[in-house]
Amino acid sequence: MKKLWDTFFNGIINENPTLRLVIGMCAPLAVTTAVANGFWMGIAVIFVLTASNILISALRKIIPEQIRIPIFVVIIATFTTVADLSLKAIQPDIHAKLGVFVPLIVVNCIIFARAEAFASKNNVLLSTVDGLGMGLGFTLALIVLATIRELLGNGSWWGIKLLPASFEPAIVMILPPGAFVTLGYLLGGLNLLTGKTGEN
Amino acid sequence: MADKNFLPNQGELLVSSSPHIRAKETVDWLMWQVVIALLPAVVISVYFFGFRSLFIMMVGVASAVITEAIVQKALGKAITISDGSAVVTGLLLAFNVPATAPWWLVVIGSVFAIAVVKQTFGGLGYNFINPALTARAFLLAAWPQYLAGNFPLPLDSITGATPLAILKGTAAGTLPSYMDLFLGNVGGVLGETSALALLVGGLYLIWQKVIDWRTPAAFIGTVAVLTWVFGGRGGLFTGDPLYHILAGGLMLGAFFMATDYVTSPVTPKGRLIFGVGCGVITVLIRLWGGYPEGVSYSILLMNLLVPFIERWTAPRVYGVQTVRA
Amino acid sequence: MHYLAIIIGGVLINNYIFSRFLGLCPFLGVSKQVETATGMSLAVIFVMTMASAATWIVNKYLLVQYELQYMQTIVFILVIAALVQFVEMVILKTSPVLYQSLGIYLPLITTNCAVLGVALLNISEEYNFLESVINGMASAIGWSLAIILFAGIRERWAFAEIPPSMRGFPIALVATGLMSIAFFGFQGLFRGILF
Repeated sequence: MKKLWDTFFNGIINENPTLRLVIGMCAPLAVTTAVANGFWMGIAVIFVLTASNILISALRKIIPEQIRIPIFVVIIATFTTVADLSLKAIQPDIHAKLGVFVPLIVVNCIIFARAEAFASKNNVLLSTVDGLGMGLGFTLALIVLATIRELLGNGSWWGIKLLPASFEPAIVMILPPGAFVTLGYLLGGLNLLTGKTGEN
Repeated sequence: MADKNFLPNQGELLVSSSPHIRAKETVDWLMWQVVIALLPAVVISVYFFGFRSLFIMMVGVASAVITEAIVQKALGKAITISDGSAVVTGLLLAFNVPATAPWWLVVIGSVFAIAVVKQTFGGLGYNFINPALTARAFLLAAWPQYLAGNFPLPLDSITGATPLAILKGTAAGTLPSYMDLFLGNVGGVLGETSALALLVGGLYLIWQKVIDWRTPAAFIGTVAVLTWVFGGRGGLFTGDPLYHILAGGLMLGAFFMATDYVTSPVTPKGRLIFGVGCGVITVLIRLWGGYPEGVSYSILLMNLLVPFIERWTAPRVYGVQTVRA
Repeated sequence: MHYLAIIIGGVLINNYIFSRFLGLCPFLGVSKQVETATGMSLAVIFVMTMASAATWIVNKYLLVQYELQYMQTIVFILVIAALVQFVEMVILKTSPVLYQSLGIYLPLITTNCAVLGVALLNISEEYNFLESVINGMASAIGWSLAIILFAGIRERWAFAEIPPSMRGFPIALVATGLMSIAFFGFQGLFRGILF
């Protein structure tokens, strides 16, 4: 049981894919102009990540070593397509705003990295928990980033005006510079809190 | 950097990497010379736009200096606010906003210029892009309502279009005369309007050998030639170069921003290339771009090319040969 | 003129890094030196142009023909992966010199979301074959411009006293943000003339 919890929280905290490992950065920067976009992107990633982890883990003993990579790609691409079409049906407006970033989940390094490093080596239960933890870590990172950007750039959270009318939103926050600079300082702030330093 | 202790602390190094300063001229001396050279434009700005202009400039300088001190203190570095570089950044930022700008806009701009653009990258000498101009472009993207459109007209309480916006046809109004442009009796941001005041300050800096004549000459010369060739409505070679030189932020940019030690090339040939590049991009934006004025973006974009301009123009070290792996 | 609009749009105005957020992993990862950034750029230009052509053909003559558009993501990623493998083999056989300079970057490109991104965007923009190829090449050149400029800047701060917690990814992201501010200068360029 402890191992399950450790695996789960590993993806959210220690190895948060976006905030600690800094992989698969396109979507977190691109879709966090509004909290709702970040949330639905996160849901799509949780689904693809968990589903491919489960299937790859279940098939790990029968997938031949040499052709495992193409097989992983096909599995991930299939679930990405399922996520893409489902989101289009449930949330057509959000789906349109996310644009190519939903199909692009297929090339998101996080999914492939978990398939290769975790699901192909661990049992189904553990791989499920790993997928959920990593996906949730990704989703939380997007929500944090989107909260800062939507609040400062539009004065709202999930479309609800939170800041008083006298607050004049800084439009730049929902433009590309706002994404890069905010995430840069967010990562720097986390490094400061955890005492981690990087190389130049 | 593997080990922080490998490098000496900032206070132990007298010369930083990029501004190669001759021994007798210190950073302090150079920066205060720039402040002196900006004074004519300060006086003219207060004359035309009133004491609100002085207030904005004081807010810009004070917030830049305070930010510099706070960030240096927080990072455990020596506090170097007396070198005047933060004063210059704050003043140049204030020069780039109109008199109608709210005070908090100037404060945010100064904090962004000093904390984000300059100190995050290691402080004076290490920022790769001009702090005051980046902050101005940041503010323009954040609150376009204050930095685009109509600007206060001099000696008046109403606002109107800038000469360049009228020239471009994106705003209505009558074009001011050459003499009004030359003196600064036109609408615009605080420090850009008076070509005369900026020319006096710029020539002073050239005379004092604080800046190299090549950058402003190449910048202004390129704008003149290209606007003469392409700027006219009646076909090629019918443009009005004098108007393009006197209007907008060209004088301010060419003498005071494109010559920034840290973010422009150190080689003489590199400075010529830098000036020409600024001129080309300025004209591109003024004539065919989305904004009436392109001076600040041209300098920012050329800042990004500086490492390559220096590569191409660096004097070859005798006896050293590039070895291809 | 129409093609010029696609080129200027792809290189300067809708730059893949500064405006569309595509291909960020290699942008952040392979930008420490100008030389490696240039090598990566050549490989990306090559692959993105070829991938635009290949996916356009597959889309028109396979997916649209047999009403299999819902298979787009799966088919495109396989086409791109096969293409990269094929290109790698051809280069290895024909030009060992080119292989030496591009070879190490090619395997990294399959997971570069700019390649799949441009393939998907070509279809959603309803570009014809030539437009797709031009868009693929222009977008790749824009991406290359961004990474090479970034590598030049990055080399400069090797000895700067950057605050320890900002080193690495944080400073790289902030720098990219400042570069994207400079690229705002190209917004609206040639509007009314080309666009």
